Amino acid sequence: MIWRDIWREGYFLLRKKSVLLLLLSALGLSVFSVWTGSQEVAAQQATIARLLEADALDRADVLQQQNDYGGVAYYSFHLTYAPPSPLAFAALGARDVYPWKHRIRMLALEGQIYESDTGNPELAQAGRIDFAFVISVLAPVFIILLLHDLRASERAAGRDDLLNVTAHSRRALWPLRAGIIVALLSGVLLLPFWFGAFAHSVPCWQVATVTLVCICYMALIALLCYWVSGWLYPAPVLASMLLGIWLLTTYIIPALGNEAIEHSIDGPLGGDILMVQREAVNGAWELPYSHTMDEFVKTHPKWADYTEMSALFEWKWYFAFHQVGDQVAAPLSKRYREVGKKKYQMAGVVAWLSPATLLQRTLTRLAQTDAIAAREYEQQVRDFHEQLRHFYYPLLFTSPPFHRDVFKARPTFEPIEYTK
Amino acid sequence: MTDPVISADALHVSVGNKTILKNVSFTARRGEVLALLGGNGAGKSTTIKTFLGLMTPSAGTANLLGQNVQLQPDIVRQKVAYLPESVMLYGHLNAVENIRYFLSLAGKEKTDDDIALALKKVALQPHAWQTRLQSYSKGMRQKTAIALALLRDAPILFLDEPTSGLDPVAIDEFNGLISQLASQGATILMVTHDIYGACHVANRIGLLRHGELVGMFDAPQDGNIDAEVVHQAFTQGLK
Repeated sequence: MIWRDIWREGYFLLRKKSVLLLLLSALGLSVFSVWTGSQEVAAQQATIARLLEADALDRADVLQQQNDYGGVAYYSFHLTYAPPSPLAFAALGARDVYPWKHRIRMLALEGQIYESDTGNPELAQAGRIDFAFVISVLAPVFIILLLHDLRASERAAGRDDLLNVTAHSRRALWPLRAGIIVALLSGVLLLPFWFGAFAHSVPCWQVATVTLVCICYMALIALLCYWVSGWLYPAPVLASMLLGIWLLTTYIIPALGNEAIEHSIDGPLGGDILMVQREAVNGAWELPYSHTMDEFVKTHPKWADYTEMSALFEWKWYFAFHQVGDQVAAPLSKRYREVGKKKYQMAGVVAWLSPATLLQRTLTRLAQTDAIAAREYEQQVRDFHEQLRHFYYPLLFTSPPFHRDVFKARPTFEPIEYTK
Repeated sequence: MTDPVISADALHVSVGNKTILKNVSFTARRGEVLALLGGNGAGKSTTIKTFLGLMTPSAGTANLLGQNVQLQPDIVRQKVAYLPESVMLYGHLNAVENIRYFLSLAGKEKTDDDIALALKKVALQPHAWQTRLQSYSKGMRQKTAIALALLRDAPILFLDEPTSGLDPVAIDEFNGLISQLASQGATILMVTHDIYGACHVANRIGLLRHGELVGMFDAPQDGNIDAEVVHQAFTQGLK
């Protein structure tokens, strides 16, 4: 009996032009979102490939042109980057807010990382139309449009009593009709994602998790709509109520949450770190060598016996005051990261009041395109920069004869590798 | 004497502070057509809705085949075909699709021939069968709904103003159908304004006034209820 009921309601719904139009619109938006997401990921991958090639050539040129280790260290740029994950096409997340590529040098690092500031991007989500946006923000609107008049339109047409009395069981009508609508909508929204996931070689467990999360989310919205649709009000009133709830939870609560978080947590700006570090670096030109070297050996005691200067300018001194610049900026940088982490945690609390935001956080976490992923990438840059210093300091402080072969051992940045 | 198929026992229905039915009692046995007559607001439709389980009585019981519909709501789904007043079937489906939809909803299966036969019985022109109902007249929609009620093969029929919107020829044909169904054992409760039509098909006529059953007229063994007598009783009440 259940298959006959499903067939009946499915056929009935697909004969309705309004339902068909909404389903086709949802399909079109989903296809568009997957396409734009894929385009963006392809553009990022192309940028990385182009920069990798240019970066290698640039370093090779520098190596040919320079005749000392300090010169090579100073003039060489090193590309660091966080490649988009296979799932990034579906949830671009904060990759357009947080930088995902840098060209760093052996100079003080913190200012190179924090040249710009970021807020709570997951709370200001009306941005790019990616799959995460379509599913979290637009799918509820489709559910509301499809379900708000589930009962009201039948009441208005005088069919409600006839349908209730005719249905062979209570489940065979309203819950089934609503369920089929949501199943059809889920299908048209998820189908392009599945194709995209296949094309981007997304691991099966991630596809299954995203599918499950999206279905749970849509089921939650559908349950709310189903409940409200049973109220004895005209369809426009019910639609207004549901759209009001959508507006409140999707935009107003996140916006208010963002304001509250920004006002409640005080912390340094990225520009502050940049300024402190640059002042420390620039100020070092005016200070005695010993001042910079004393500060330097506090964190690098290994080089305490190599701080003597034999000329007015030596690269070891220059890089030492960049190291000291990072040391001066370190507490501010640490505080900046702590504040960022706290804001992210608080945004997580606000997200529980906004299912759309919660879903976006979940999807961007899975896609590793969120603030956490950005912080992890920053740490990778720090680790890599540390490796560069570890490579160059012996060359700068012990001044061995210049050999270009030495640079074969120079560290290269290893980006995060995603399992496929 | 068989057991009553439809029985109202001291039925009392209120909505808020307003009493709509007061102490209404009647019975209809197998093969009987019981018509409830009354003016606007007399409680006719409320009586049917109470039997359908769509309204809850504040006192008394509404029973079908000896079972209280409030306690056994499935009896309505299983045994009753309901024809509401001014029924609007689905405009985006044609007559055959509408009938198929509602039959499937009721858990019934009928062949194309069965459906064609029912549509012919209600005199719906065959060229209209595949036309969407949004272009139907009220009478054509009513005929489709009557065909659906016939196809339900239900032992109990509740008809709310069934001839509303039908032309005189269709009304005669409909009355003939009702008599035929009753002779085949169906028990029919209809509410109507149409005194003469009711007298033509009903075995019994109940007269409702302000929620009270103020008169009951039985047909003689070999004839119809006298329409003039019912008309007089009906109009006296209105005066």
